Amino acid sequence: MSSDSEEFCGNCDSHNSYEYPTKVFCSTRYWHNENPIVDTLWHCDSYNKVSQECYCVKEAKKKADSTK
Amino acid sequence: MDRKDYLKEPVNHIKINGTLTVDQLMQQFKNSGSLGAGRLAEACDIYEKMVREKDCTIFLALSGAVVPAGMRTLIVDLIRNHLIDVIVSTGACMVHDAIEAVGGHHYKGGWSVNDVELYKYHLFRIYDIFVPEEDYVRLDFKLSEMYADIAKERKGASLASNDFAYEIGKRLTDKNSILRAAYDENIPIFLPSVRDSEFGFIHWLHASQKDQNNVLLVDAFKDVPTICQICAKSPKNAMIVIGGGVPRNTIQSSALASKKGLDYAIVITLDRPETGGLSGSTLEETVSWGKMKGAADHVMVIGEALMVFPFIVASVRERLGDAFKRDSFLQREQLAGKGLT
Repeated sequence: MSSDSEEFCGNCDSHNSYEYPTKVFCSTRYWHNENPIVDTLWHCDSYNKVSQECYCVKEAKKKADSTK
Repeated sequence: MDRKDYLKEPVNHIKINGTLTVDQLMQQFKNSGSLGAGRLAEACDIYEKMVREKDCTIFLALSGAVVPAGMRTLIVDLIRNHLIDVIVSTGACMVHDAIEAVGGHHYKGGWSVNDVELYKYHLFRIYDIFVPEEDYVRLDFKLSEMYADIAKERKGASLASNDFAYEIGKRLTDKNSILRAAYDENIPIFLPSVRDSEFGFIHWLHASQKDQNNVLLVDAFKDVPTICQICAKSPKNAMIVIGGGVPRNTIQSSALASKKGLDYAIVITLDRPETGGLSGSTLEETVSWGKMKGAADHVMVIGEALMVFPFIVASVRERLGDAFKRDSFLQREQLAGKGLT
């Protein structure tokens, strides 16, 4: 499966970069008083796909692979 | 005027040697007295007059990429040496300052780049300067905590934009920050367009937080009497503008509303007057409104502020010398407990 169709925080429309590429800031979690700093390769039930793709998922996967 | 009145001062040619100081270069520019060099030399003379003038309040208008381009420390030094008295800024300029105050950076970049790729890397571009999105986000996170803290202290009462800048400055520990330096030195920073910046948009995040009982309230109308009273009480008023826009208009309108009119003005801009917009409007135009006195010393330097303003400051500080201490009217008033209004 390509990163385009997989659901990750790093391709959700609530994400902003926090510690590129491994951590993102989630505005939805912030609004709900939950820890907004989450892993790029995590996701939750509130996932909503971004309108314009970025490199977060691709680069986070690359980094995860390189540290295995 | 008689014909001979047009021919009083011949242009003297610029002479450069290997040991020229900045102020000596400005004197050479003054010898020419022409085009951009003449205007720059005149700006140095006018700023020196502002600083040496007894009881003159100097307003500095900030807009554009002042901090990202590298003038943060220069502004901080002016604040700490009381070579300016009041700052009127876009919200964005102070956001840029706060980004660096919490550990972020602006990076040397380029203007001929792939902006789609920058977007995908979460990098923002300010002409040829880059800033990572995470530096904004980290500031957002900290600001939302500060907002809740300030709102809790204020117990529902609103703040003027200068009080807002004061409270943010109080909570920043970076001594190289404009906001912090202004807080330390009791220099007011007015942010008339505070909403149109990250300060405003992060307010949405802060105010929308679940169970948020302490929502920060900033009331920009509250600034008006304060800044107008500063103009009204100051025996003389001076303005230095980097860019233009809302900050320039705020200073000029305060000078008008207080029935004073500016006594000195320097505007550094690349904007043009033909649009009828304020940023490029000539200073002669402001005379028609009563915002500047007809007899005011004034000059408009057509140039990019990062190249122009450091020359002005360097030249004047060289003239003043390290031992110079400015006796600021506004600081004296505040120390005397008379406050800003």
